Amino acid sequence: MARKTIITVATTGAWPKKENNPNVPMTPQEIADDVYSCWQAGAAIAHLHMRDDEGNGTMSTEKFRETVTLLRSQHPDCDIVLNLTTSGDLNATDETRQAHLKELRPEMGSYDCGSMNWLNSSLFLNPPKFLEELGRNMQEWNVKPEIEVFDPGMIANAAYYLKKGVLKAPLHFQMCMGCANGIPGSMKNLVFMKETMDTLCPGSTWSCFGVGHCAMEMTYGAVAMGGHIRVGMEDNVMYAKGQLAESNRQLVERAARVIREFGNEPATPSEAREILGLGK
Amino acid sequence: MSWGPCFMYYHCQECKQKFKYATDLIPAFGDRFGLCPFCGKEGVFEKDGARTPDDMEYAEVEE
Repeated sequence: MARKTIITVATTGAWPKKENNPNVPMTPQEIADDVYSCWQAGAAIAHLHMRDDEGNGTMSTEKFRETVTLLRSQHPDCDIVLNLTTSGDLNATDETRQAHLKELRPEMGSYDCGSMNWLNSSLFLNPPKFLEELGRNMQEWNVKPEIEVFDPGMIANAAYYLKKGVLKAPLHFQMCMGCANGIPGSMKNLVFMKETMDTLCPGSTWSCFGVGHCAMEMTYGAVAMGGHIRVGMEDNVMYAKGQLAESNRQLVERAARVIREFGNEPATPSEAREILGLGK
Repeated sequence: MSWGPCFMYYHCQECKQKFKYATDLIPAFGDRFGLCPFCGKEGVFEKDGARTPDDMEYAEVEE
């Protein structure tokens, strides 16, 4: 029986706008339709960010609610796992970063396991107080953390919170490769990240994406190393050099091809729930 | 949350060309990072940041 590989689609993110790629979904309706199309193409998890009416990243609970409602009401056959960001606006408060999780209770939410500089220009703050509060709240609300790690130190931080009871095993990591101020995207570094995870947090599951030049290298590498993969215009607005992505679906379809050519099968949402232990 | 690739933008005082390097390629280029791909002279740094729609005039330097 073929091994199952989970495809997560990160449709929108916080930074790319229509001027970067006119195909980035921005409104709740566009995002809901996009998620449905990606699910049809093989995505099992949708990692969602919201935009305000000017197209800037927002943690508006109202926007999250509208999007989730549209998706579930207009596409009742879509059983995709929803993973809502907690980091969609650098100016959001600790409260607004969690309010949508409390109300909507998605199956997953992102958990950025450390602070860093954002594009050498701003601070991406995830201080201890916030991470402790978020971790405990996610346990109470039964929202599985997708632990986004941008360097090996963040994996060590996750191990610390695991020992402290803020996080609960088994953990699920998203290895974010090639982001400015994070670990560069290379196979050598991905192997090191995985080895660090296996040492500090054994039994964890993991996924991976790379931005820019390393995107395909990280996709192939993660599949070969037994990980799961994330694609989407949050991370890459380009499909290939000089070629804008036509849609998130196009990126999901390529990911599914890579998985099948390797000999695996894209996991369905039900299979992803089983692999990640969602709802347990 | 991710933010796509980050670039550093340059121009060349020698041949007047404009070009950009993705910062995730700093390890790959090493000391060659920032050199003009057309004439090899050291580029003059202008700015850095995420990819923008108007940056097509800057040639993207790749390995």
